[in-house]
Amino acid sequence: MNKSSFKSRKRQEKAANIATVIILLILSAMVMLPIWWIFRSSLMSNGELFEWPPSFLPKRWLFSNYAKTLEFYPFWHYFKNTMTIIVPSVIGGTVTATLGGYAFARLRFPGKKFLFSLCIGSMLLPTMVTLIPLYIMWTRGFGLIDSYAPLILPYFCGGGAFNIFLIRQFISTIPRELDEAATIDGAGQFRILVSIIVPAIKSAMIVVALLLFIQMWNDLLQQIIYINTDEKFTIAIGLSQFKGSLKSDWSAIMCATCMSFVPGIIFYLIGQKYFVEGIVMTGMKN
Amino acid sequence: MRKFTTLLLAMLMIFAMAVPAYAAEEPVTITYSYWGTPDEAASVQAVADKFHEEYPNIIVEVMAIPNEEYTAKLNTMAAGGNLPDCGIMNENGVLDFASKGLLADISEMYAGADAMPLDSITFKSEGKPVAYSAANEILFMYYNKDMFDAAGLEYPSATEAMTWDEFIETAKLLTLDKNGKNAADPEFDPENIVQYGCVVDNWTWQLEVFALSNGGRWFSEDGKECTINDPAVIESIQKVADLTLVEHVMPYNAGLEDNGIQRSIATGNVAMATGGAWNVGTCLNSARDDIGLNYGVARLPMMERSVTICTGGPQVVFSQTKHPAEAMEFIKWYMKEENSWDSLIATGIWMPILEKYYTDPELTAKWIENPNFPDAEEYKAAVVDYAMECAESTCWYYIPHTNDFINLLRSVLGPVWTGEQTAEQAITENFDALNDVFLGF
Amino acid sequence: MISLKKRKITNSQLRTETKTAYLCLIPSIIGLIVLTYVPLAAVFGLSLFRWEGVGTPQWVGFANYVRLFTRDPYFMDSIKATVYFAMLAVAGSIIYSLVVALLLNRKIPARGFFRAVFYLPYVLPAMAVYIGWSWLYETNFGLFNYLLSLVGINKVMFIGSSELVVPSLALIAVWLSGNLIVIFLAGFQNVPRVYHEAAEIDGANSWQRFWNVTMPCMTPIIFYNLLMALITNLQVVTPALALTNGGPGNSSCFLSYLMYTYAFRSGKLSYACAIAFISFLLIGIFTIILFVTSKSWMFSEGGDD
Repeated sequence: MNKSSFKSRKRQEKAANIATVIILLILSAMVMLPIWWIFRSSLMSNGELFEWPPSFLPKRWLFSNYAKTLEFYPFWHYFKNTMTIIVPSVIGGTVTATLGGYAFARLRFPGKKFLFSLCIGSMLLPTMVTLIPLYIMWTRGFGLIDSYAPLILPYFCGGGAFNIFLIRQFISTIPRELDEAATIDGAGQFRILVSIIVPAIKSAMIVVALLLFIQMWNDLLQQIIYINTDEKFTIAIGLSQFKGSLKSDWSAIMCATCMSFVPGIIFYLIGQKYFVEGIVMTGMKN
Repeated sequence: MRKFTTLLLAMLMIFAMAVPAYAAEEPVTITYSYWGTPDEAASVQAVADKFHEEYPNIIVEVMAIPNEEYTAKLNTMAAGGNLPDCGIMNENGVLDFASKGLLADISEMYAGADAMPLDSITFKSEGKPVAYSAANEILFMYYNKDMFDAAGLEYPSATEAMTWDEFIETAKLLTLDKNGKNAADPEFDPENIVQYGCVVDNWTWQLEVFALSNGGRWFSEDGKECTINDPAVIESIQKVADLTLVEHVMPYNAGLEDNGIQRSIATGNVAMATGGAWNVGTCLNSARDDIGLNYGVARLPMMERSVTICTGGPQVVFSQTKHPAEAMEFIKWYMKEENSWDSLIATGIWMPILEKYYTDPELTAKWIENPNFPDAEEYKAAVVDYAMECAESTCWYYIPHTNDFINLLRSVLGPVWTGEQTAEQAITENFDALNDVFLGF
Repeated sequence: MISLKKRKITNSQLRTETKTAYLCLIPSIIGLIVLTYVPLAAVFGLSLFRWEGVGTPQWVGFANYVRLFTRDPYFMDSIKATVYFAMLAVAGSIIYSLVVALLLNRKIPARGFFRAVFYLPYVLPAMAVYIGWSWLYETNFGLFNYLLSLVGINKVMFIGSSELVVPSLALIAVWLSGNLIVIFLAGFQNVPRVYHEAAEIDGANSWQRFWNVTMPCMTPIIFYNLLMALITNLQVVTPALALTNGGPGNSSCFLSYLMYTYAFRSGKLSYACAIAFISFLLIGIFTIILFVTSKSWMFSEGGDD
C-alpha cells in the first residue's frame, strides 16, 4: 500500500465523516422536533396554540402553565403510585433474572437444556395472549382487585426470559477461572455469585433494570385492567384520563405530557453509560 | 411461644366473630362509586360528608372510576362479587345490569315522596321501572352570539326549532374561508376554512335524536325490533354527514370522542353546535372567562319534527351490597335536588328530575337565574320548556345491550363521515351484525 | 475458546450445583409455569366455552372461532389493521435504526450525544408520546400540517382518516425504536476486526467490505431485531387505547385492542380468549416464516465456540 493512496484514503474518510455528521445532525433535528414541539406547546397559552401559522417559539414563555396544570393534575400523586409499582418490580426482576441467568450460565444440573428452551420459547409468547387467564387468576383466584400486586408479582418470577438470557450471556463472558479459583478457596456457589459474578455484571444488571423500568412505564393495558380507582392511578392512566377530561385545554395536556417525560429521561441519563456498555459487552450473539 | 401464638389467634378469631354483636351501634361504611376526574370526585366526597353529618351512623366512601372504563369496571367487579354498595351508572349498562339481577329493588325509592321523576328518564325492563336517572339531560343547540353579530344575522329562536334547510343556510353564512368569504359565496374556498358554521355532534348515541326528528326510530317502540335500517334513519345520518361532505359547513370529525362542544363552541371557532345540557357547567362556563365566549342556547334544528332526547345516569343500589338499607338511605338522600344543588345543578351540569322544577316558575327561577347560566329567558324557552315539550327517552331506557350496539354503530359509521361509504351502504352492509348485537350476542 | 481440559465433576459437586441451580431458578420456573405456559393452555381451553364472567361456562366447541371468521363485524378488519401496522412499523424501524446505527458506527465527534438523541424517544412513556404526537398530527394547528403547508400541500387528516391513521401511528412506532439502534450498534462493534483486516489486505474497498464482511456478520442481529420488533408490533394496543379507540371505522382496531374491548368492556371473556389464541397463532405463523426464510439469508458463523 503506497503512501499517497493512504493519504487520499484518509482524506476520503474525513469527507465521509463530515457528511455523516451533517446527516446525523439533520436526523437528530427531525427526531427532536416532536419533543420540542410538545415542549413549546406546553409553554404557550391556549390562544396562541390555536393560531395559524404556528410558530416554533412561544411569544412568552409561560412556565406558569406548569404550576396551573399541577393545580388540577396530581402529577406527584401519580408519580408516587407509579414508583410504588416500578421500584419493587425492577428490584425483583433484576434479582430473579440474575439468579436465573447465573444458573443457566454456570451451573450444571439435569433438565438444564429443557428449562432453557422453555425459557427462550417464552420470549416468543406475546404477553397479550395470556392476559385474560392471568386476569382471571389474579382477580378471581386471589381476589386482588384494584391492587398493584398483579402488576408487581410477575416481576418476582424471573423478570422476563429476555433478561435472564441477557444476564446469562453476560456471565458467559466472565472467565471461569475466577470462580474456579474461589471454589478452590472453598466458597459456595452463592458466595461466588454475590462476591464475584455480581460485581462483574453490574452494567448488565443496570441494563436489565432500565429495560424493566421502560417496560413497566409503557404497560398501559395491564394498568388499565388491574387498577380501578383514581387514587391508585399511575402516570400513564392519569394522563389518558386527564386528556379525556380536558379535551380542548391542549396547553395543560402538553404540560402533563412533558412532566411525564422527565422521570424516564433522568433515569436514562443516569444509566446511559452502563447501558451501551452493557449491551455491547453482552455481545448479543447466538 | 408457638402455643401462645395459637392462643392469641384463637382469641382473635373469637373476638372477630363476636364483634358484629356489639358493633350494631357502630357506623356502617358504604362505598359509592362515581365516574369522573379526581377533582370531581372530591366534590362528590364533600356531598357524602354532608350526608354523614345528617346520618352519623353511615359513612360513605366515594370510589372514583374513570368514565371511559366505568361500565367495564363495574362488569368485572360484578363478576367477582365485588361491586360497591351503591353508585351512579352509565346509562348504557343499566338494563343489562337489571337483567342480570345486579340492581336492588327501587320500588321504595320514592315511597312517600311528594313527586316522582319524569317518566322519560325512568329505566324500564319489560315495562317495570328498574332505575331512575339522577339528572334529566337533554340535547339542544349552543351558538356563538358574536359570530351571529359579525355576520349580521338574527339569533336562532329559542322557542321555534329551525328547519334543516334553514339550519344549513344559516351555517353557510357563518362558514368563512381565509379570505373572509362565506360558504354561500361562489368564490368560497372550502380548502381553507377558518370558521365553521356548525358542528352536529356525531358522538354516536346523540345521532338517535335526528333519526327521531326525521320520523324514524333505531328500535321499535316496544323495544322488540331493531329498525336502524329504516330509510328515515339512514337519511338522518346521511344528512348529518353531508354537512361536512357536501355543504362544507361542518369540520370533519371521526366521531370517536365525546367532545362536540369542547372542540367547537368552547374553542371559539364554530358558530353553532349541538350538545348536551351538561356542557353549560362542564366547559362553557370556563370558556366565558378564558376566551371571552358569548354564547346563547336554542332548540335543535329539526328534520321532520321538533324533538330532543333526554338521558342521565341513574343512582342505584347494587344487589350485592351487605348494607342495602343504608345504601338506599344514601341514594334517596342524594337524589333530592337540594343535596346535589350546589355542586351539580346550580353549576349547570345537571338538570333536575322532578317535574315541578319545569312547571313552577318560582322553582325554575331558583334554578336558572344564576350567573353560571346563559340568559335566563332564553334558557327557559330553549331548554326548560323544550325539555317538557319535546323530550323523549334515549334508547337505553328500554333497550338492553346498547353499549355494544352503540360501539358497533360507531365503527360502522366511520366511513360515512369520511364519505367512503354512504349511510345506506354502511347500515345495509352491517345490519346483520348490528341486529346480532341488539339480540344480545 | 478451546478449553484445554474438560472440567471434572464429582457426584457430590453435581448434587450441590443442582440444588443451587434449582434454588436460583425457583422464581423463573414458577414464572414459566404459572404465568406463561399454563395460561397459554387456559386461553385455548376457555376459548371453547361461552362464559361472560358469571355463572358456569357453557361448552361451545369451536363456535367462538366460527363466529369470529364468519359473523364478527370487527375481526377481519382487525387482522388486516394489525398486520398492516406491524409490517409498516417493523420495516420502518429496522431500516431507520440500521441506517442510524451505521452512521453512528463511524469514528465521528459527539457520538455519545447523537446516540443519546436517537435513544431518547424510547425512554419516554408511550402513552405520553402518543398524546404528544396527536397534537403534532392535529389537522388545523398541528406541526405536520404546518410543514406541509410550507411546501404548498393542503391540510391532511392524519389520525382522522382511515387511510392515513395506520401509517401515522406506525411512524410514531418508528420514532420510538431507539432501542434497536443500540442493539445494531452493539452488533457492529462486535464484528471481528480480523475479518475487516483480511478483506482490506485482499484490496476490498469500504463498500465491498460493508457488503461482504459487515452485513453477513450482522444478519443474526438483524434477525433478532426483526423477530422482536415483529412480536412487539403485532401486539400493538397503546395507540388505540390512547388516541383512536380503534377508529375511524375499524381502521385502527388492532387485535389486542379488540380483545381488550370484548373482554373488559363487553365482558365476553371466553370470546376474547379466542381472539387471543388466534393472535398467538398469527404471531406464530409470522415467526415460523421468519425462521424458515432466515436460513437463506442469515450468515452463520461456524467454528467459533
